[in-house]
Amino acid sequence: MIYKWFLSHQWKEMKRSSIWQKNVVLNIVIGLLVGIMLLYLLALGLFIDKILTELFPDKDPVAVFNGIVLYYLGIEFFMRFFIQNLPTLNIETYLHLPIKKHSIVHFVAAKSIFAIGNYLSWLVIIPFAFKVIAPSYSTGIAWLYILAIVLLVFTNNFLATYVKRQLVGKPMIVGVFGLIMISLILLDHFSLISVSSFSTFVFGKLLEYPVFILVPAFLLAFTYSLNYFFLKSRLYPEEVVVKKQRKMDSLSEIRYLKTLGLTGLMISLDLRLIWRHKRTRSIVFMAPLFLLYGFFFYPIPMYREQYGFLIFVGIFMTGGMMLNYLNYCFSYESNYFDNILANYKDLERYIRTKYILGISIATACYILTIPYVFFGVDILLMNTMTFLYNIGFLSFVLFYIATYSKKRMDLSKGAAFNYQGLGATHWLSMLPAFLLPVIIYLPFRWLGYPTAGLLFIGALGVIGLLFSKSLINMVLKQFMKRRHSMAEGFRE
Amino acid sequence: MIDAKYLTKVYGSTTVLNIIDLTINQGESFGLVGNNGAGKTTFFRLILDLIRANSGTVTSKNYDVRQSTDWKFYTGSYLDQRFLIDFLTPEEYFDFLSNIHGLSSGDLDQFYIDFETFFNDEILGKGKYIRDLSQGNRQKVGIAAALMTKPEVLILDEPFNGLDPSTQLRLIKMLNEIKEKERTTMLISSHDLKHVTEVCDRIAILEKGTIIHDLKTSTDTLKELESYFSV
Repeated sequence: MIYKWFLSHQWKEMKRSSIWQKNVVLNIVIGLLVGIMLLYLLALGLFIDKILTELFPDKDPVAVFNGIVLYYLGIEFFMRFFIQNLPTLNIETYLHLPIKKHSIVHFVAAKSIFAIGNYLSWLVIIPFAFKVIAPSYSTGIAWLYILAIVLLVFTNNFLATYVKRQLVGKPMIVGVFGLIMISLILLDHFSLISVSSFSTFVFGKLLEYPVFILVPAFLLAFTYSLNYFFLKSRLYPEEVVVKKQRKMDSLSEIRYLKTLGLTGLMISLDLRLIWRHKRTRSIVFMAPLFLLYGFFFYPIPMYREQYGFLIFVGIFMTGGMMLNYLNYCFSYESNYFDNILANYKDLERYIRTKYILGISIATACYILTIPYVFFGVDILLMNTMTFLYNIGFLSFVLFYIATYSKKRMDLSKGAAFNYQGLGATHWLSMLPAFLLPVIIYLPFRWLGYPTAGLLFIGALGVIGLLFSKSLINMVLKQFMKRRHSMAEGFRE
Repeated sequence: MIDAKYLTKVYGSTTVLNIIDLTINQGESFGLVGNNGAGKTTFFRLILDLIRANSGTVTSKNYDVRQSTDWKFYTGSYLDQRFLIDFLTPEEYFDFLSNIHGLSSGDLDQFYIDFETFFNDEILGKGKYIRDLSQGNRQKVGIAAALMTKPEVLILDEPFNGLDPSTQLRLIKMLNEIKEKERTTMLISSHDLKHVTEVCDRIAILEKGTIIHDLKTSTDTLKELESYFSV
């Protein structure tokens, strides 16, 4: 049974991977968060019947719950898209062995069933089915209901992995998908269509006519085969390479950068680095999703009153891309880091270039968020202040921390089967960076001076910008101290 | 020119390099031979300040390579493929390097003329990124990049690896020309004993991190080396 071998190899790879061993703190944080979430869900599941009758005393709890299910699946889809790691397998090591190709593909396609996200909802659904559905229908129907939701959760899983896989090859599909989701949310928000009554209708029918269970079963089979055939068409590493070769882009011909001398040259090198690797390029394609973040929160009055959360949104929108870049700017170059150390005479310029590119990215993002002024001038003020904070303060903190990166990142390696670092740990490690300004802001708000709080956040950034020269030198000093350890890690 | 004093590098409990006193003079071509794990690459990395020594120093023109960056102006090096920026085309890569080193576009044109036969029509104008080139062709790009600035000091780690026979011979010829014309100081490691004797005036044998022989090249050198390495 070849799958047993695959599983044991994967298990060993995970256990022996350096992130697992080195990043103890991050693992503890993730463990705690997962634990808290499990407790919440468990509590929700145990009291679901009481909660529903309490909140909606004159409505049928089954109908209410059914109305939520589609929303839940939608949110889950988004969470999966951002957080869930794509399952990978280093297929080159297996392709030359006498293993049937379809087993390899099935394994990679099916591997995502082990993702923890697939099992979280069980904690709520199972108690709900037995406490609420079984009394009004029958135990058999309760089982059927559980089965239907579980099938849909797995469908969701395969759909999300499929769309995420497209991110690399055909980012257009992701864009179309995102647009559909956003228009659904907006239509529902302006009560033009009602997702919730549709959801109630669909799941109500399922309870009446059990034969409808075939629909989710079919959907699951369909989304699974989408993944299967997609991966199957990409099984030959060589063919993927041929596709990659397309035609050369003309990024080296950007005139403006040429007028900037050495700095421009280095910026142009980094731009080419980003554009010519699938992984970095897919992050560029995710940028619009970052920028649309505001649409989800600004229209909702609850968030408008709780300013704190919107600061988080502002940091994320104006700075998310920059953080992503600064965090990894050294690891991205691990393939030729030795060359940089042996050849670059002016390392101060090297560091400064990275900083300039980082804040340029943030500035571009900021300009794109200006239209949100439509939701109110306070939104603009907030985004401006968070932008200043991002480029003047956060940028240096992250840049400094980036010199601790030791993990080799092989951007050139692996084609369709290589997606390391697009998952949860990646975002979670940046969480403190997003939370700090909120923590700064809250005391001001409690004292009744919310605007002063915002200005204070912005002022931090302005101070950083004023002293940028010495701060860059500080990063440089740190870089010089760490360069050997970095180079050693990147060589692994 | 290049002096290594009391230089040691330890990984875990094994000492992979222990050089008490080694001087490579201006204009000397210094060959380094030794089996795998003897410490050749480690030594070169220490000269280029890519790893930190556990003790001792490397100085280049009397400046400690760890403290000063002046040596980067006159040192050309190629150790392995990690030196290549593999998502660039070879032309873009050379263009980038020539800018970094402050060469004029005339210098770059001259470089392309000088290396025309070495590249043998396999490198330039293909519209391929370096990562899509074959192993041997990538090696050519790296060696050419190291030689591009006409450096005073040239450091190559196993340059003959992966090259086709004609290119190996071309490289030997080219290195000998440079040696005579420009009096370049060279540090070259190799597993090919014949090639290294053809290029270098002085050959050191490294074994488990220490230099156990240090010979001036003569007609007998190849035999001596072969008898040392024979099994």
